[in-house]
Amino acid sequence: MLKKFDKKDEESGGGSNPFQHLEKSAVLQEARVFNETPINPRKCAHILTKILYLINQGEHLGTTEATEAFFAMTKLFQSNDPTLRRMCYLTIKEMSCIAEDVIIVTSSLTKDMTGKEDNYRGPAVRALCQITDSTMLQAIERYMKQAIVDKVPSVSSSALVSSLHLLKCSFDVVKRWVNEAQEAASNDNIMVQYHALGLLYHVRKNDRLAVNKMISKVTRHGLKSPFAYCMMIRVASKQLEEEDGSRDSPLFDFIESCLRNKHEMVVYEAASAIVNLPGCSAKELAPAVSGHWAFFQPASHVYVAMKHPSAVTACNLDLENLVTDSNRSIATLAITTLLKTGSESSIDRLMKQISSFMSEISDEFQGTCYPQDTHGPQGKDALCQKYPRKHAVLMNFLFTMLREEGGFEYKRAIVDCIISIIEENSESKETGLSHLCEFIEDCEFTVLATRILHLLGQEGPKTTNPSKYIRFIYNRVVLEHEEVRAGAVSALAKFGAQNEEMLPSILVLLKRCVMDDDNEVRDRATFYLNVLEQKQKALNAGYILNGLTVSIPGLERALQQYTLEPSEKPFDLKSVPLATAPMAEQRTESTPITAVKQPEKVAATRQEIFQEQLAAVPEFRGLGPLFKSSPEPVALTESETEYVIRCTKHTFTNHMVFQFDCTNTLNDQTLENVTVQMEPTEAYEVLCYVPARSLPYNQPGTCYTLVALPKEDPTAVACTFSCMMKFTVKDCDPTTGETDDEGYEDEYVLEDLEVTVADHIQKVMKLNFEAAWDEVGDEFEKEETFTLSTIKTLEEAVGNIVKFLGMHPCERSDKSLLPYIPVLLSSLLGVFRGGHDILVRSRLLLLDTVTMQVTARSLEELPVDIILASVG
Amino acid sequence: MGLLDRLSVLLGLKKKEVHVLCLGLDNSGKTTIINKLKPSNAQSQNILPTIGFSIEKFKSSSLSFTVFDMSGQGRYRNLWEHYYKEGQAIIFVIDSSDRLRMVVAKEELDTLLNHPDIKHRRIPILFFANKMDLRDAVTSVKVSQLLCLENIKDKPWHICASDAIKGEGLQEGVDWLQDLSTATTWKL
Repeated sequence: MLKKFDKKDEESGGGSNPFQHLEKSAVLQEARVFNETPINPRKCAHILTKILYLINQGEHLGTTEATEAFFAMTKLFQSNDPTLRRMCYLTIKEMSCIAEDVIIVTSSLTKDMTGKEDNYRGPAVRALCQITDSTMLQAIERYMKQAIVDKVPSVSSSALVSSLHLLKCSFDVVKRWVNEAQEAASNDNIMVQYHALGLLYHVRKNDRLAVNKMISKVTRHGLKSPFAYCMMIRVASKQLEEEDGSRDSPLFDFIESCLRNKHEMVVYEAASAIVNLPGCSAKELAPAVSGHWAFFQPASHVYVAMKHPSAVTACNLDLENLVTDSNRSIATLAITTLLKTGSESSIDRLMKQISSFMSEISDEFQGTCYPQDTHGPQGKDALCQKYPRKHAVLMNFLFTMLREEGGFEYKRAIVDCIISIIEENSESKETGLSHLCEFIEDCEFTVLATRILHLLGQEGPKTTNPSKYIRFIYNRVVLEHEEVRAGAVSALAKFGAQNEEMLPSILVLLKRCVMDDDNEVRDRATFYLNVLEQKQKALNAGYILNGLTVSIPGLERALQQYTLEPSEKPFDLKSVPLATAPMAEQRTESTPITAVKQPEKVAATRQEIFQEQLAAVPEFRGLGPLFKSSPEPVALTESETEYVIRCTKHTFTNHMVFQFDCTNTLNDQTLENVTVQMEPTEAYEVLCYVPARSLPYNQPGTCYTLVALPKEDPTAVACTFSCMMKFTVKDCDPTTGETDDEGYEDEYVLEDLEVTVADHIQKVMKLNFEAAWDEVGDEFEKEETFTLSTIKTLEEAVGNIVKFLGMHPCERSDKSLLPYIPVLLSSLLGVFRGGHDILVRSRLLLLDTVTMQVTARSLEELPVDIILASVG
Repeated sequence: MGLLDRLSVLLGLKKKEVHVLCLGLDNSGKTTIINKLKPSNAQSQNILPTIGFSIEKFKSSSLSFTVFDMSGQGRYRNLWEHYYKEGQAIIFVIDSSDRLRMVVAKEELDTLLNHPDIKHRRIPILFFANKMDLRDAVTSVKVSQLLCLENIKDKPWHICASDAIKGEGLQEGVDWLQDLSTATTWKL
């Protein structure tokens, strides 16, 4: 037999899991063995294992086949084999929600749970509670009460825990078992006591008084079980938190008394409960901290330190000793704590200690220690914001770490950290970049290398001595594999585009790349070479420095459409919807915590869904591509009224469509022919209404209104519409939903709807504003100065403008880097409907009020006029 | 059944095992009958309505019975059929005092007899006309008339009056089953 198995294993490729290639139908076929007499317990138990394995692997069993297998399994109850019986209990529990009529085993299980065999009783209780629904519970109530007070701990515990589960669906029945649970709570067994108290608490948790009483009783009599103590501490601290009352309450006394418990577990729980209490003073913390200290638990210390740095400062000396602790994870935590609590002067010393310590710990340990302990680099990140002057030290330190051996996660955390330092602190940019350059000289991780190359291409040309980076980048082209080579070519081209002096040498380098083996590299090199040889700033800006701003799935669809319908016209990129989610989350991306960013969803975005919906309405054919949909629907009614109407605005090149999502909340009415009549204040023209045919109770429906944008006075884009819903009401029977034939006309006044400039502008993201600004040129440039009297800070002013215009602030220019200088220069980017880029540059000056000078540029005059008219 | 098992049965060392289904309407006394047939130390004191089914075992002089004691409540009756295939004999219990529901019992019996798993097998059926101690109980003859038992031609059957609480008449029925099994060859 054994030999046979070996042979099979070899054939199947040496997998050690005997259940690997199970086939559902084959296993269910095998389950027929259950019907045979006499029963072969070993064989049956093995088949049950297979079934359970399949279920746990996520295999879907149909109701019929599951029921069949289940009933076959019930016949196994005639065997007295203990293993088989316990497998049966497991199967019952697993199949309780798949198979039908599982209550068939109720009597068999009650027999087992009241029987003599203690081994059967606990599992039987659990299986029984699993198959019992609230209607059947009454029938087994008596057995449950008995089981709770049973003298065998496992039975009692099982019954208590099962009751806890039952509490969710049949609270009222389980509530009647409180007396039994109370009795079990005084049981000598620590687990029974814990479970009983748990049940009691959950029964009473909505009754604050009862819970308080319970805790005071526990305080008086004490408990045997440390688990129960821990739970009561948690309950008490939750109670305290909700009360947010004084510290004199008996609850707090209880927690504090637990600090003197003989079980370490309880002391620890109590200490962390006190530490976590919101707003507790240093004095109250003191005993808790010393409690922690007794167990050398720096883990919790770190936590304390984040919230109450001053309370732990006293322990700093002890912590410094701990840095040299032989347990590395303790040492790491100690360092992190020190970094948080330490002062500026001690940082140098600490860094030295850490670097010596880092070299000691083995690579494998770093791997496990660092990802979990994001405090490491993250802590330093925070640190460098705190003490900007120390960045040189930090940078050196990080770089030494980078040079050492380490896994991907570890390296990435460090690179993230360096990049964020560069972003935060412009002084450190050059050192940081040169460090990174050296790092990619010997970097085995493609992702990191390409990321750094991208950064170099972006930041490098702006430094004082860009040529020194070229060598590093070109080295990549020579030495690395395709992906890195392609990244390096792009970076080179960016240098060429921004630096006249270096252009000839860059061109030479790119020419060499044209002969590359890899398609991607070759294509990129040829493309950049041609663009650069034109020596036109606009081309450089458009094709090298700033990438595509359209949404990729949208582009793919538009191109597919284009190839399907051959036409003479060249493909128009402006007809492609813009990317709705510009990569504005650059900031979060670069912080170490969120470093594992989910890949951008390539599936249809919200706007694309809208586009498809609108294209299905015949009235809206020929409007052209959807330019923008307002991000959040606007509610036109209060939330508690008869009808709930929400409006989404869709902007097309020359039209706007208002989509009204209506819900009827009256169950005795059905609305028919619902339209929303709109009265514009400006020169907008309502073209047609698309009604929602029928609106039954609580089923959302959609109606549309199509308006044309004003032609005579194109600058008047902002407008207010007064809205009125018109419909035919038909009364209907709330229970059957039958409607009367006769209906009557009715109206319902909605709130006014605003159309703002932001509805006409789509945010886009370009990496290089400067280049885009030059590309557009000053043909249609206009400039005006405004005074904003109501706004007191610069950031607020910029925030308002960004929101009002619906444009995207470039290069994080909405934030002031130097808060003490009352001048802010911010650059905003957007695309006006029709597909023309519009760029706005605003200079803000803060004296007593904010003075703002706005300069707008675009390829057409209209958007510029609109922007300036609307800002004023 | 393995060779060794067969041998031990022949030698009388091990008793032959028989699977019996115990059916009938709710409150007819199925569980009470089975309980009474068990050895006195295994009997339970109070009998509660069965939910689903329970498996009980008892022995007679030459046979070992494994009884599937099915619940008689209306909503569980359609679950009986899951166990028909394994049954080698059927005990059908009737509450003789419940004249009103005698038609229901007849209907259930007819459904049972026409079920494909039962119809073509010569499976012995033992009827217990139970609750004879009650005053308004009808005789076993009357019961068999009411249930039209004379129409059962292709299966051996036997009816005996019983009082499960005192245990009267039960042994007679079990003896009939035992005799039948030793005399004829049951398809196992």
